[in-house]
Amino acid sequence: MLEITNLHARLADGREILKGVDLTVKAGEVHAIMGPNGSGKSTLAGVLAGRPGYEVTAGSVAYEGRDLLALAPDERAREGLFLAFQYPVEIPGVNNMYFLRAALNAVRRQRGEAELDAGQFLKAVRAKLKLLDIGEDLLQRPVNVGFSGGEKKRNEIFQMAMLEPKLAILDETDSGLDIDALRVVANGVNKLRSPERAAILITHYQRLLDYVVPDVVHVLSHGRIVRSGDKSLATELECRGYAFLDDAAAE
Amino acid sequence: MSDIRTGYIEAFQKQRAKSREAARRAAIARFGELGLPTRRAENWRFTNLRPLEQRLFPPAPAGTVPAATLPPLYRLGVPSHRFVLVNGRFAPALSDMGDLPLGVSLRPLAESAPALAPALDAPFLRESNPFLALNAAFFEDGFDLSMTDVVAGEQPSPPPELDRPIEILHLAVAANPVSLHTRNRLCIPPGRRCTIVETFAGSGPYWTNAVLEIAIGDGAALRHIVLQDEGKEAVHLGHRRIRLGAGARYDGFTLALGSQLSRQDTIVTIEGERAECLLNGAYLLRGSQEATIATLIDHAAPGSATREVFKGVVADRAHGVFQGKIVVRQAAQKTDAHQLNKNLLLGRQAVVDTKPELEIYADDVKCSHGAAIGDLDENALFYLRARGLTAAEARRMLIDAFAGEAIDLVADGAARSYLRRHLERWLAAREE
Repeated sequence: MLEITNLHARLADGREILKGVDLTVKAGEVHAIMGPNGSGKSTLAGVLAGRPGYEVTAGSVAYEGRDLLALAPDERAREGLFLAFQYPVEIPGVNNMYFLRAALNAVRRQRGEAELDAGQFLKAVRAKLKLLDIGEDLLQRPVNVGFSGGEKKRNEIFQMAMLEPKLAILDETDSGLDIDALRVVANGVNKLRSPERAAILITHYQRLLDYVVPDVVHVLSHGRIVRSGDKSLATELECRGYAFLDDAAAE
Repeated sequence: MSDIRTGYIEAFQKQRAKSREAARRAAIARFGELGLPTRRAENWRFTNLRPLEQRLFPPAPAGTVPAATLPPLYRLGVPSHRFVLVNGRFAPALSDMGDLPLGVSLRPLAESAPALAPALDAPFLRESNPFLALNAAFFEDGFDLSMTDVVAGEQPSPPPELDRPIEILHLAVAANPVSLHTRNRLCIPPGRRCTIVETFAGSGPYWTNAVLEIAIGDGAALRHIVLQDEGKEAVHLGHRRIRLGAGARYDGFTLALGSQLSRQDTIVTIEGERAECLLNGAYLLRGSQEATIATLIDHAAPGSATREVFKGVVADRAHGVFQGKIVVRQAAQKTDAHQLNKNLLLGRQAVVDTKPELEIYADDVKCSHGAAIGDLDENALFYLRARGLTAAEARRMLIDAFAGEAIDLVADGAARSYLRRHLERWLAAREE
């Protein structure tokens, strides 16, 4: 589904953040990417979603056989890629439901499905809210405005559940969450798991992985993937910290 | 430019208006002294009046109302008392005043003007605004809304709130350049309340030069919603004067979308204590449109409040101007006045001039003003696009939100949806 080869990317100020990332994600898999602050985790998520401000200097990303980097951010989204933001943006004046219906219908058009009218949309919303155990109170407010940190993350997961992406990338969606919110996030990912879909969980902590068991765990350090393994790698990191990576690199 | 001045003087000599002759002559003489404003006059510094300098707009011929139909677009959509003017004159065929409650009078100014003559002219000729002088020289009609406190005799007291909103539609139909000078009056006596939705629309090369005087008595309240959606070739000058009594409330909103050149002047004088002035609006400009919003709120009495928010969306090569001044006189202690002007600048050649001003002579007041000019929020655009909306859809959604937040300040539900519909229409047209 996703094949990242030798990806190099830098910021507008010229600092190189990604220095040759290789990663293959197959349909049906959940991958976790862990790593210390500044290792390039969020840059990787940003480059995959098409966030402005990064320049890819080498390498390639194939998504379902297409050149992902050639697509505009909205084309990527309509093709089924979803980024749960680390810092969801507050948009005053734009109603959350109105926004989500426009987004869902944009995605549905691309999939060749009929657009949902207001009534059908509301029905779909209620079903997802129930599935995820999220309250209705967020719906009538402007997008993320005045939401607590936990509410913003729940809103991201709710959007993900509504849009049903093929490839979901969660950028530290678990950080700063209490245990209930963490369960909502985990539940959202688990409900989405299927042989046709895949997810990349970018996380700083092993905690989320207690609820969503990944198929593969990668460690990103200084812009490259330095270790890959199964879930036990996450546990090892939790016990030993990231410092051992540098020891390993020195060996 | 002197040709233009002479042109209006000659047009005056040809006109056949018979009422108020002495006053009209004085007014045209005053116009002759003043001529059109130049950019050297501080109050006109930012407004580009070229369309008025380049072309003469003779007054629309007297006594004729061209045939016109009422565009459904400009119907408020709820039961109302509707008063329609076509080319500056009352059009009974298009109006539907319904049953006005006892003591409420809505009629053409042409009927009441003779009785009001001295009061109509005096304040305007002392000022150095040539457009007011031209209006005084040429106006023949307009709307005149008045109410009595209580109908004489044993009638029961009227309910404070008028039963329905009043819709005023100023329609213009012009094949050749014409100017439409109307004088309009609104008088809300103590304790009464009403809602007025005023729309300016039309087609062809015309110039609207409308003057509206509003008096709001003690404890009375007016909600006044204005949609300026004049035709593409039109020039719109709207001049409003509002006087507020003690405990009175003016809640005004202007949405400016139309005309090649427009300028709306609103002058509010707070004469009574504890009055409230809400003056809000939005202007959306594109192409080479030019629009000025000029406001002056004069706090002459203590304990009153002003809330003023104007939002501008200026695209392409358009030019938007906000000149807002709040004066707090020495007597106006405990004044609470806040003004804000925010602009979205959406084209490399688009220009906004904003000049918020506070002039305070009292020492115990709470006043603030602010202005901002910016582009659409890049992070918000990316967020929307990351959910599948195209760049154009994302921009539209953010512009809609920006202007929509201003429209949300309109308290009357029907008027709010009316303005929303016109905002959506503007946004849809933008995508072509």
